[in-house]
Amino acid sequence: MSRPLGTLDPSAETAPRAAGGRAPDVFSREGWVPMRCFRDEDEVDFAVIGTGAGGGVLAARLAEAGFSVVALDAGPFWRPLADFASDEREQDKLYWSEERLSTGGDPLQFGSNNSGRAVGGSTVHFQMVTLRFRPEWFRARSDLGYARDWPVDPDAMWRYYAEVEAELGIAGPVRYPWGPRRGRYPYRPHEVNAAGHVLARGAEAVGIDWSPTPLATVSAPRGKAPPCVYRGFCKIGCSTNAKQSVLNTFIPRALAAGAEVRDLAMVGRIETDRTGRATGLHYHRGGRWRFQRARAVAVAGYSIETPRLLLNSAGPAHPDGIANAEGLVGRHLMPHVNDAVWGVMDEEIRWYKGPPSMAVSEHWNYTDDHPSKDFPGGYAFMSQGPMPADFATSLVSNTGMFGQALRNRMALYNNMAGLKSVGEVLPDPDNRVELAEERDALGLPLARVTFSYGEEDRALSRHARAFQREVLEAAGARDLFETTGTAHLMGGCAMGATPSEGVVDGDGRAWSCPNLWVCDGSAMPTGGGVNPALTIMANAARIADTIIAERAPDRRG
Amino acid sequence: MTRYPGYDVLAKRDTPSWDEATRRVVDARLAGPAARPVLEERDYRTLAALCDAVVPQPDRAEPIPVAPVVEAAIAEDRTTGTRFEGLPTMREAWGRGLAALEAEARLRHGTAFADLTPETREALLHAVDAEEVEAPEWDGLAPRRLFRDVMADEILRVYFAHPAAWSEIGFGGPASPRGYVRLGAGRRDAWEAPFAPPPDGGER
Amino acid sequence: MSPAAAPPVPSRSAPVEGYRPLAQATLVLAGAAGLVALGALLPRLARRARPAPAPAARLRRGAAVLSASVLADSATEHYRGSYHHRAMFAAPAMAGATLASLGPGTGGPGVRRATQRSAIATGLAGNLFHLRNAMRRPGAPSWETLFYAAPLGAPGALAMAGIGGLVASGLEQAPPGGETARRLGRRLALGTSAGLAATSAEAALLHFRGAFHAPAMWLPVTLPPVAALALAGAAWRPGERGIGRARGLLRATAAMGLLGMAFHARGVARNMGGWRNWSQNLQVAPPMPAPPAFAGVALGGLAALDLMEAP
Ligand SMILES: Cc1cc2nc3c(=O)[nH]c(=O)nc-3n(C[C@H](O)[C@H](O)[C@H](O)COP(=O)(O)OP(=O)(O)OC[C@H]3O[C@@H](n4cnc5c(N)ncnc54)[C@H](O)[C@@H]3O)c2cc1C
Ligand code: SF4
Repeated sequence: MSRPLGTLDPSAETAPRAAGGRAPDVFSREGWVPMRCFRDEDEVDFAVIGTGAGGGVLAARLAEAGFSVVALDAGPFWRPLADFASDEREQDKLYWSEERLSTGGDPLQFGSNNSGRAVGGSTVHFQMVTLRFRPEWFRARSDLGYARDWPVDPDAMWRYYAEVEAELGIAGPVRYPWGPRRGRYPYRPHEVNAAGHVLARGAEAVGIDWSPTPLATVSAPRGKAPPCVYRGFCKIGCSTNAKQSVLNTFIPRALAAGAEVRDLAMVGRIETDRTGRATGLHYHRGGRWRFQRARAVAVAGYSIETPRLLLNSAGPAHPDGIANAEGLVGRHLMPHVNDAVWGVMDEEIRWYKGPPSMAVSEHWNYTDDHPSKDFPGGYAFMSQGPMPADFATSLVSNTGMFGQALRNRMALYNNMAGLKSVGEVLPDPDNRVELAEERDALGLPLARVTFSYGEEDRALSRHARAFQREVLEAAGARDLFETTGTAHLMGGCAMGATPSEGVVDGDGRAWSCPNLWVCDGSAMPTGGGVNPALTIMANAARIADTIIAERAPDRRG
Repeated sequence: MTRYPGYDVLAKRDTPSWDEATRRVVDARLAGPAARPVLEERDYRTLAALCDAVVPQPDRAEPIPVAPVVEAAIAEDRTTGTRFEGLPTMREAWGRGLAALEAEARLRHGTAFADLTPETREALLHAVDAEEVEAPEWDGLAPRRLFRDVMADEILRVYFAHPAAWSEIGFGGPASPRGYVRLGAGRRDAWEAPFAPPPDGGER
Repeated sequence: MSPAAAPPVPSRSAPVEGYRPLAQATLVLAGAAGLVALGALLPRLARRARPAPAPAARLRRGAAVLSASVLADSATEHYRGSYHHRAMFAAPAMAGATLASLGPGTGGPGVRRATQRSAIATGLAGNLFHLRNAMRRPGAPSWETLFYAAPLGAPGALAMAGIGGLVASGLEQAPPGGETARRLGRRLALGTSAGLAATSAEAALLHFRGAFHAPAMWLPVTLPPVAALALAGAAWRPGERGIGRARGLLRATAAMGLLGMAFHARGVARNMGGWRNWSQNLQVAPPMPAPPAFAGVALGGLAALDLMEAP
């Protein structure tokens, strides 16, 4: 098996770009920026594995605080202006397409539905929806009576949300209708497209609030980034740099602060000594295995790769994998319910224009005691704008529609509108990542992922579909049909207040390995009813600050 | 059969709607895949018939080439990131799946899958999708998963990667550096497809 | 819609919200004409004529700059709005007519006056149209409607140009002197000062939409209000010092209007694709014809000051 390489510059996916004292300048077509480089023998303060939402933020903050940092990513280092085409198939190169085994009652779909593999991680192709958790969710068990609490201070998270929003130049509404007051978003909201106005009209007809979605793409110039041109290819990478991904925000900052970013560097195992402390990591780059020494290691490889790596890193003091003393690594994996309702409008909507989700309603995240609410947790729902192949394949996958019927349906592409939910799935220890017997090309065991919905999750999914149907009908859509699905993986190495409740503590430090941190979506104890990237980033910023406040990364050990 | 007659995404190739990267990618695609025949002649015929059933193109004088591109993907063993339980890895899934389709056709109709009438072919695929299969070749192949999430998935990705398919549905096509100005319903930019007649309700 | 209702021919050339290439091309030309007019007028302003032009001439020139700005701006903005309502043609058409009526020797005085009066009516009607448009959008009223619906106050600029033209003609036909001139000057000053404030308010809204991402964006929301205050102050309590201060600030405001055009041109270049992507960026980047409106209004203010100093 082999993952698809792009046709534009396959060498970017086989030969590292960031090397020899320089890294790609992401704001140019072929330029470079200087990069400080470390040797494998140098014992760096922090080796960060993964440069996505979690790892990118952490690496930048630590480097800016003066730590020596090497950040490794399995994926390539893209220059969006030259490397990204307006083409779905070419851009398959952004996703993590190596096979993961999927099983369970409701097996998950990975790849383009799920995670990326590039410097900048999944934020390179994320759809830029940047919503905050409802503050009570950080104390879901104590305040709302379901799932579990985060071992963190909700007020602190609220502050870090504001910080990351400023660092990303989020374009959001002047007044956000839900939750406690928040400061003004750094950029004003984008003009809502027709697809978003379908949601708006439906919401107004059924009497609930809606809002322009806060988005990580700028509505006016920001530094070297031009404002969004509403080309709508966000999910396959933004070729203008308007999107504020980790690749064009935190990575340049990390480099400028003296971090080294190694692309095409796949970490296979973390090495630990007899006392259980991490000493460095084995990584594959340039055709061979190498070993980077490090005083501390932070893992931020996404909710599948982080557990996979920890499980594959058994050592003398960690017989079942690093930080797995309680057998929790890989457990409590959570997707979001991503069910959608679609319909045909009389007017041409042309949902290919603009970012895909320009309008949102968080009504059911902030409504607790409506008689129809028969599930804990909540969900947001958003307007949609899938690209042609994406939409066609979701049709066949969900409805089995093919042949002339499918072509007829696709002929109405420009008249389609849709609403899609992001709904909370409760943590369940049996939903998990494990190592399979089978190995990949590098000899690493494949991840096997088991997932099944619970009763509460099904109740939420039913509610979301029925309610979205009501809204879409109220907006004037007809010929409605539904699709089901999941998105965004979280959990797998959750934070917990005690070693029996989580793999890492509230500061992201492993309970059973004092110089190992987990700093990505896998550290999330619950998933909430909103897209996770902003929460992952805010949490990473918070974790970074606790490390910086302690100064010595390995004091506890 | 298109609602957008006369609209051709390719007419924008040399406007600011297309950048150099996109031109290179689409040009290469239109030139066709480098010939990499990996399938036996019989399997290829089954594949071609399958592509034709998933996206029939009786309306096109020059059909969008789908089967050769799918074959190239099979040759590449192009993975999507997911291997569902009950399915082998991509290339094997295709190989065994095409054989199972063929076996099923012979078992039911006594003829090759490729020689079935379009109606029979379609009915057979609906049976596969409903997991009502009889041939032993399906053993360990999870028919619906295979049909929807491996075969039809790849076929549709290939079909909708072709500019003619973009034009057919009135999609704007490549858009960088120039995106769009008019985002409202029933509004369009000068470089978009003209409006189509309102939908008549389709297969309501 | 029933299947039978669908037209037999698949392509409808003029649906409700039709894209009308010919009409639009005409209006793009009109926009360009407005820009050219601005280009021709502005250097004349930049030069300091000696002896100073008569107040009437100054006022007329101010009104001309303003209507040229409205012509170019409304032609592009309404093009962006696809001219989906027939009335949208009125704005650039009236602005063009007003511009013509302010030129030397076009039409008789009666025709000119009628044109300028219609400009005032069109401008005020435009305000109402824009209000209606804004209130129809989902979420209205809200900041988002203010940002992206038709701008509520903008058509007022056309009305201002009409008023300026009428007053200028009046002045030319029967040049007032002494107390009459001074009283007229004070009234004109108050009116202009309100106009400056309104223009500045619109810039404030749009620059807020742009998150004041460049420091220069603060200029048009600070300088003109100060100039407006100084102008109103001078009208309230005329005195040499007050008039001098107001004059300085108004000149600065006029210069800022010109500079703004250059800044906005840079804005076009900064958007994705820059000038090569003009077909998109001239519509979405900061509007080049908008800032000179400040110069037009400021000229009106200068004319008012001249009148106030009448012997
Ligand atoms: C199509 C799509 C759209 C999305 N849209 C949104 C959205 O609109 N809003 C939102 O909030 N979220 C969205 N998400 C989800 C969001 O992108 C992710 O939840 C988030 O980026 C996860 O952050 P992370 O740090 O856990 O992992 P990632 O951002 O995925 O980063 C992980 C990185 O680690 C690297 N890596 C993994 N293992 C190794 C290893 N062993 N060695 C070296 N490197 C390794 C990977 O290459 C990757 O670059 C979307 C996701 C997808 C797939
Ligand atoms: S719509 Fe905006 S954010 Fe999305 S790809 Fe285009 S320019 Fe980038």
